[in-house]
Amino acid sequence: MNSGPLLFLGLFVTMACSWLTFVMGPQLQIGGLTTTTNIIVGAIGQDYPHTEPGAAHQGAEVYRANGCASCHTQQVRPAALGSDINRGWGIRRSTAYDYLFQEPVMLGSLRVGPDLANAGRRMDAAAVLTRLYEPRAITPGSVMPPYRFLFDTRKIHGAPSPDALQIPPQFGPPPGYEIVPRAEALALAAYVTSLHQDGYLFEAPPPPGKTNAPPSIVPVAPTNAPAK
Amino acid sequence: MRVSASPAQTAPRSAAPPGRVEIEASCRAPLLVLFGGGVLWLFIASLFALVASLKFHNPRFMADEPYWTYGRVHAAHLTALLYGFAVPVALGVGLWLLCRLGRAPLAAPYVAALGVVIWNCAVTIGVIGILCGGGTGFESFEMPGYVAGLLLAGYLLIALCGAVTFHLRAAGRLYPSQWFVLGALFWFPWIFSTAAMMLLFMPVRGVVQASVAWWFAHNFNTVFLGFAGLASIFYFIPKLLGRPLHSYHLAGLAFWTLALFGSWGGIPDGAPVPAWIVSMGVVGTVLTAVPLLAVALNFCHTVRQDLNTLDANPALRFTYVGLIFWLIAGAHQIVGVLPHVSELTNFTWFAVAQKELFQYGFFTLTMFGAIYYITPLLLDKERPPVWAAILVKWHFWLTFIGVLISYLALAVGGVGQGIYLSDAKYLFPQIMKATLVTLRVSTLGDLLIVAGTICFLLNFALLLAQSAYRCWADYGAGARKERR
Repeated sequence: MNSGPLLFLGLFVTMACSWLTFVMGPQLQIGGLTTTTNIIVGAIGQDYPHTEPGAAHQGAEVYRANGCASCHTQQVRPAALGSDINRGWGIRRSTAYDYLFQEPVMLGSLRVGPDLANAGRRMDAAAVLTRLYEPRAITPGSVMPPYRFLFDTRKIHGAPSPDALQIPPQFGPPPGYEIVPRAEALALAAYVTSLHQDGYLFEAPPPPGKTNAPPSIVPVAPTNAPAK
Repeated sequence: MRVSASPAQTAPRSAAPPGRVEIEASCRAPLLVLFGGGVLWLFIASLFALVASLKFHNPRFMADEPYWTYGRVHAAHLTALLYGFAVPVALGVGLWLLCRLGRAPLAAPYVAALGVVIWNCAVTIGVIGILCGGGTGFESFEMPGYVAGLLLAGYLLIALCGAVTFHLRAAGRLYPSQWFVLGALFWFPWIFSTAAMMLLFMPVRGVVQASVAWWFAHNFNTVFLGFAGLASIFYFIPKLLGRPLHSYHLAGLAFWTLALFGSWGGIPDGAPVPAWIVSMGVVGTVLTAVPLLAVALNFCHTVRQDLNTLDANPALRFTYVGLIFWLIAGAHQIVGVLPHVSELTNFTWFAVAQKELFQYGFFTLTMFGAIYYITPLLLDKERPPVWAAILVKWHFWLTFIGVLISYLALAVGGVGQGIYLSDAKYLFPQIMKATLVTLRVSTLGDLLIVAGTICFLLNFALLLAQSAYRCWADYGAGARKERR
């Protein structure tokens, strides 16, 4: 290996192998994915996934800006791997379809906090907002930082604001004041409550014995059976 | 057939060849800026890491300003470490190796220096951008899109100088360090431009984004940082031991297999992508055992029983420990992707521990060794002052112990977290509380790393100041003589 050009050529070919496999390959296979109607159980005949409201998209920006993905994943592993489904973090594994309308896609790599792939099925906006203002009001001893900069503490003049946070008094504002979420907090709550991965798909069929669908609809396709 | 080669063959050790002073002079401006900027960024990065770590002791610590919230500080820490410290220092050491081994002065040093200034400006804007909420949300690729062009421009200016220097080298056999440096120079612009195009400027749809981000992060660590660190290891260990590298061919095997298999992987098991992508990644990562074994074998034979010489030279000690950490981090990565292990350790602190060991343990220690060797040469100082030796000693032990504490705490915590997480009868808040102990222990490691980095920063600054003072005094003396 004493020739510069040969060395360069070798590096180029090696790099191209990796690039074609891990960048071009996925793009060719699933880069053009569109919504599916192949739902086995649930809203049969409808498109999946649905587009989310605009507030959820704005909330995704707040989620990105504050690096929420450094502690929260958004992917449910198959039943055979770990206890994600048993913990109630999802009814089925995540598939490529679930992220079609996410921008950017923030799967996360570390679970300091719980998985949020189906957070919208577990929490309503009020619960999300309370957790954002004071996580320990709901989970004592939580290490999640409070995000008070997403809220205003205001003096109550006349009637209290309908948006004001309902929070246990020991965490609440001084008497005569109220805590009102800012637009970013509301958008973030809209985003988190929009997160859900519903419908059994061919890629992620219901576990045996857990379906309530008529037997004729469930296709018997061995290739789509969950990996055991 | 066994052919041995050594840096001594391509760059004679003792009698200074005529070009050597010229080489150091050509490297001085860009390398001092690269190293100086890198040292500062490393200090900033370790402060960010400390702040992020302290939040596990009290989540309300610095929580009321959006700029210092955990997600942003954590991203800023990684960015300052990888783009502020790792890339510039890798480039600096790489350029110096290309000059030294090719026996050619650095081509267009002021173009390289311009590139360094552009790069550091871009990183500064990027880190401030992250703290202001502009992070991209992709791990290891956090800087906002508006600095991507600047970063690439700065990088290309520096790398082109390296490529031209390599082209103008004196004829002779290539030494393994030259392959590794060239590989690193070439790898980064490809992965970075791919990530910038496919994630920021023309974002691909759905999980392909995640796929590109995993590929980038894995290649950045395993290949780019791995190549840059190994280039330095392959040069300094034989050179400072004064003995030839055991096998040139084994080094070649390690180089090509690391380029091939090290560039596959980084995808978590059970990810929502077609299963073949995950499997290919696992296969590639397991096959990185080949370069691991090849390097281990090569250096076992090169070093033999000379471990007692480690104390003699701080550069050698840093490089040697860096090599050992590279081997451990590589083994850790392979174990972490094995099917039954990854089921437990996915999404836990176990993977974070591996990155900590790879980036702080292997990469920074190796680069410290190289900087301790190169900087006095650039400043025309053959014999470092006494205080420098003391600071180096403190730096070594603080960093070494700090990395070890952080790594072990996070690895043990990660395994525990994984075991509890795999059983749904343990509730999530309970698990979090159980792992908190190890996270708090790792803060101690972060603290020691900060202290070590302060020693390093101090040493570098004092050396620079001393040298600047001498230059100024010399200049004054010269001016007085002229006046007479």
